[in-house]
Amino acid sequence: MTTPPTGGYRPDEPMSIRPYLQTPSVQYEPASGQPDDLAGPGGSPKLRPFVLTAGRVDATDPEIGLETQVTAQSRGGRVPTSRLLPELRAIVTMCHEPISVAEISARLKLHLGVVKILVGDLRATGHLDVHSRDVATPNTPELILRVIRGLSAIT
Amino acid sequence: MATKPPIPVKIVIAGGFGVGKTTTVGAISDIAPLTTEAEMTEVAVGIDIPGQHSTKTTTTVAMDFGSVTIDSGVKLYLFGTPGQARFGFMWDDLSRGALGALVVVDSSRLDDCYPAVDYFEHTGVPFIVGVNAFDGLLAQDLSAVRWALAIDDQVPVVAFDARDRRSVRDTLLVLLNRALHKAIGESGGRSVEADASAPLGR
Repeated sequence: MTTPPTGGYRPDEPMSIRPYLQTPSVQYEPASGQPDDLAGPGGSPKLRPFVLTAGRVDATDPEIGLETQVTAQSRGGRVPTSRLLPELRAIVTMCHEPISVAEISARLKLHLGVVKILVGDLRATGHLDVHSRDVATPNTPELILRVIRGLSAIT
Repeated sequence: MATKPPIPVKIVIAGGFGVGKTTTVGAISDIAPLTTEAEMTEVAVGIDIPGQHSTKTTTTVAMDFGSVTIDSGVKLYLFGTPGQARFGFMWDDLSRGALGALVVVDSSRLDDCYPAVDYFEHTGVPFIVGVNAFDGLLAQDLSAVRWALAIDDQVPVVAFDARDRRSVRDTLLVLLNRALHKAIGESGGRSVEADASAPLGR
């Protein structure tokens, strides 16, 4: 196995390992594509989302919301990040700065449901911290006032 | 080493197709609007072939979103979502914990926004109605819109221009003031009943 790039995630660069897996740079086009068309734009096979999630479609932790912030664990996970699937490695790389689940989904062009499952997996393996807010906690007047002040400052 | 993440807050921008949701998000967002796709269960009620029972299928819906950095510790996310009733399942996910919702309306196509208004009324998420004034023109005046939507007198109905940053800002401030009044009312007494995760027609 060759050493993967340690720098930032480069969507256009083909991954040097697992050539049979499509890199996340390829757009899934479920709306327009034929359901059984496995060939990606380059003629290479497209990795179906449920392969990444090992068939799980509904294992989502309700604490992981669209806006939930995710960061990489500074100690690293139980498995070296370099040995993760490209999609998982890309997620970890993106999380060196705090990022929302929705942004991960948009930037990697992975379905939201898939990202939620993968983020939950990466939390379980110690790669990521998921900063979930208590969903039962209502937005306090103080927090709303803070947003009002910040928004008012926009010109 | 990752920096400390901001507190994320969110506002839902709802409405029918083509009413200006993405334009609204783009006008105020710090970043160019991003698109995420979500798989969801589609409960096809009322759009089926007449005579058939409603069916459940899985469909993919695109959602546009942007963000505004409020201060060093708070980040506001704006999620634009399709307004059809059959996407209700996504709304549960979207509106859980939301500060509130802006229902964007084209005054010449009011019926597009009924499902969104219904949804937020039922779940107790603070919402306002923003009539997108295309080219500064309203097909109906605001009192007519309020009457047609049959919404509570306390729900603000405002006209705004989705392309204009300040207009969008002011509209969101109207929504936040509404949310603030609701939060102050709820914090002084009974516990919060605004269960945004309450299913609608499940």
